[in-house]
Amino acid sequence: MSDEELAKDLGLVSAMTIGIGTMIGAGIFVLPGVAVNADGGAGPIVVVSFVVGGVIAMVNALSVSELGTAMPKAGGGYYYINKSLGPMFGSIAGMGDWMGLAFASAFYCIGFGQYLAVFVGLPTVPGLNAIQVGALVAGAVFIGVNYVGAKETGGVQTVIVTLLLSILAVFSVAGFFSFDYATLAGNEGGLAPGGYGAILPGTALVFVSFLGYAKIATVAEELKNPGRNLPIAIIGSVGIVTVIYAVLVTTMLGVVPWPELSQDAPVAQAARVAFPESIGPVTGVAAGAAAVMTVGALLATASSANASILASARINFAMGRDKIVTNWLNEIHPNYATPYRSILVTGGLIVVFIALLGQDIEILSKAASVLHLIVYALMNVGLIVFREADTPEYDPDFTVPFYPITPILGALLSLGLVAFMDGIEIALSGAFVVAAVAWYFLYARDKTDQQGVLSEFIRSRESDLPDQVVDAADAVAPTGAGNDEPTIMVAVSNPRTESALITLAGAIAQHEGGRVLATHIVTVPDQTSLEKAAENRTGLDQSSEELLSAAASDAEAFDVPIETKTILSHRGIEEVFDAARTNDADTVVMGYGGTRFAGGRVEGSLDELTHDLPCDFLVLDGQRLDLSDVLVPTAGGPSSDLSAEVALALRETAGVDVSLLYVVDEGDEASGREFLAGWADGHGLGDADLRIETGGVEETIGRVGEGYDLVIVGATERGLLSRIVRGSLAFETIENLDTPVLLSERPSARSLWQRLFGGR
Amino acid sequence: MTTPDDSDGQSLLGHVLLPVAHEEDALATARALEPYDPERVTALHVVEKGEGVPDKTPVEQSEELAAQSYAAVRTVFPDADEHTAYARDVVGAIFDAADEVDASAVAYRSRGGNRLMQFLSGDISLRLATTAPLPVIALPQGDDGE
Repeated sequence: MSDEELAKDLGLVSAMTIGIGTMIGAGIFVLPGVAVNADGGAGPIVVVSFVVGGVIAMVNALSVSELGTAMPKAGGGYYYINKSLGPMFGSIAGMGDWMGLAFASAFYCIGFGQYLAVFVGLPTVPGLNAIQVGALVAGAVFIGVNYVGAKETGGVQTVIVTLLLSILAVFSVAGFFSFDYATLAGNEGGLAPGGYGAILPGTALVFVSFLGYAKIATVAEELKNPGRNLPIAIIGSVGIVTVIYAVLVTTMLGVVPWPELSQDAPVAQAARVAFPESIGPVTGVAAGAAAVMTVGALLATASSANASILASARINFAMGRDKIVTNWLNEIHPNYATPYRSILVTGGLIVVFIALLGQDIEILSKAASVLHLIVYALMNVGLIVFREADTPEYDPDFTVPFYPITPILGALLSLGLVAFMDGIEIALSGAFVVAAVAWYFLYARDKTDQQGVLSEFIRSRESDLPDQVVDAADAVAPTGAGNDEPTIMVAVSNPRTESALITLAGAIAQHEGGRVLATHIVTVPDQTSLEKAAENRTGLDQSSEELLSAAASDAEAFDVPIETKTILSHRGIEEVFDAARTNDADTVVMGYGGTRFAGGRVEGSLDELTHDLPCDFLVLDGQRLDLSDVLVPTAGGPSSDLSAEVALALRETAGVDVSLLYVVDEGDEASGREFLAGWADGHGLGDADLRIETGGVEETIGRVGEGYDLVIVGATERGLLSRIVRGSLAFETIENLDTPVLLSERPSARSLWQRLFGGR
Repeated sequence: MTTPDDSDGQSLLGHVLLPVAHEEDALATARALEPYDPERVTALHVVEKGEGVPDKTPVEQSEELAAQSYAAVRTVFPDADEHTAYARDVVGAIFDAADEVDASAVAYRSRGGNRLMQFLSGDISLRLATTAPLPVIALPQGDDGE
């Protein structure tokens, strides 16, 4: 079993538990009383409000399922949005998700306080009411438990949810027997005293009861068989919870007339009425039932808060990974192995929210909903971007039905529901969005290197799209460097060329302030398993070690760090590409002979592979380098930019003289000189020797190159390397020239693969 | 019964399994073991799994932590092997790993903490010492290295 498999230990039931446990919380235990009495009395119609909330959640659940199966990564919504829409929207999503969770947790704590007040008399403190005091105590306990990471809380979660569902089931049954339709509908104004217009404001209020299904996606990487279990768990938990809510609220309202429903602890009140005072000789059943419901409410709110605090640490981690927030936040506690700083910061926010806004539970619940809804809307847009940009790596196991209607509907419903919130929550959430954008421009933009698929999409269609769109994409693009120090990977294979390759790599690394990674790729016949080869590697080790230690000592001439690595592989050149990707190389230096070791084997994928280079490639034909002057023939283009950089590096580190060559047709010398001078200036080679020659390009390069120690030739078109590798390009310049030739090829744009998954 | 010093038996420090929690702990633990000159060392990091509930930290972060820990061990024992286990039961995972890599002993350094914290985090030291199927070596604390 691979390590990756071992890390997956959450089954379908566990995943459902996370979703249901988070959703069933303060929302259903506290809000029915508030909702029916809202705005002068919405009445029993709030049952419909809950169902509408469930429908909106379900549409979004479909989108989350698709995104989650495509990218089972820690971070959930933030991660998808950052990948698709780029780091500015990523910042909004991350901040929105994080703050949304903090608001939701504060709301759960208040709910906990309200039910706690049923049991014990809570003191009041100046500025805080009794419920807030209870909520603050509860909040402190939840934060403490997560800080220490007491494992025992984990096992309890499943028990809590099971218990909770049983308690609610018993309540529903008892409620069914004491249900009276007259109680439900017989009040003044009938079923909808506030009119049907009260439905959506009601949904806005109670939507907080549905926050939680997306949490399943934040732990997707821990799920067994995520392709199947993730969608079932997300969609299933939304479905189950919606049904439970509809039944519960209907039952409550059929037991207690809605104008009398408690605004603090409605479920306990309904239980007291629903259960008979005595069953046979046992008295006090109703009071007991109310007590059990109260315990249930406490457990439910506690598990919701707990899950939310944990989820916020996941989001912090994902943001830290993309450098949107400092990784300081994600430091792990030495003893408890918990992301304690993230938990403390989130905890601090929860405490502040409880203390400042806890008097009005509606503000907390709606602020949590607004922020989550913004994230959901962005997530739906992100899904459309992934689909439309036709990203090959985007390959979800689950796809939303009725695309593109579903995600469009999801975005519209999410934003539409925001419109039914009150000004204060919208303003509060708006402030956080503004703060997130400000944060991105002031802090994160210089740090992050993540580009969204959207900006890739826009830039790749630069000519088809209005300038404003392209400019806008550029204006918000991240400016952070991909890697702090570039990695120059050298694929050494032959002791005779090793020194020359290391010299080139060392010069470039020193010039760019990077490091050298010397790899020896050992090709193992297909018939031999890699494990077997590793076992019998004594002889192999020796030659590999000699080669790599020679490389290390050659690199000492340069002031750069060097790492060495032996890689066993069944593949030849393909492994070079793989190694370049996995080691996050910025430049690969290899020998011409090295490209030949794939020789003869025509691999179907090779063409594609070399057509889409993972990074800059430099291929040296020649065994020794003894440099005093180099020639760079140029005709412009990305690969000759690379040639210029190499020449510059050699001049800086080895003091070589650089000559530039431009081959023109007869009569074009003057304009050629102008072009070359401009090109030289643009590449920091303004003082180089400029040579304008006429004649055939290859033949001229060959003739002029004779007089130099090295000729650096940039590929003039994509796929040059692939043709060399397959031997289909008769590159006579190389074959016939005694002078060593360095071929350079730069990918014309960073490949999408790299943008999506590389460059961490 | 054979004694550990039997020539056909493995010597106590023949292959030491070194459970480490994080970079700092790994360095301190490896340094504490260094003076006794073990023949072979395998560094072990147990990723605590929830087994039914989400972990305390994302998998990716846990694995980063493991990699840093191994690197720290290798600054002291350059040839140290590494082994990553995933389990809710840390102590059980240590012994399973010892069996798997065929270790002669487990060497660990208590990470301190008061009784309450040890209790909450499952008191690994106590369980290591009381349920061991192979020798368990408690390394000296040596706060300031050597």
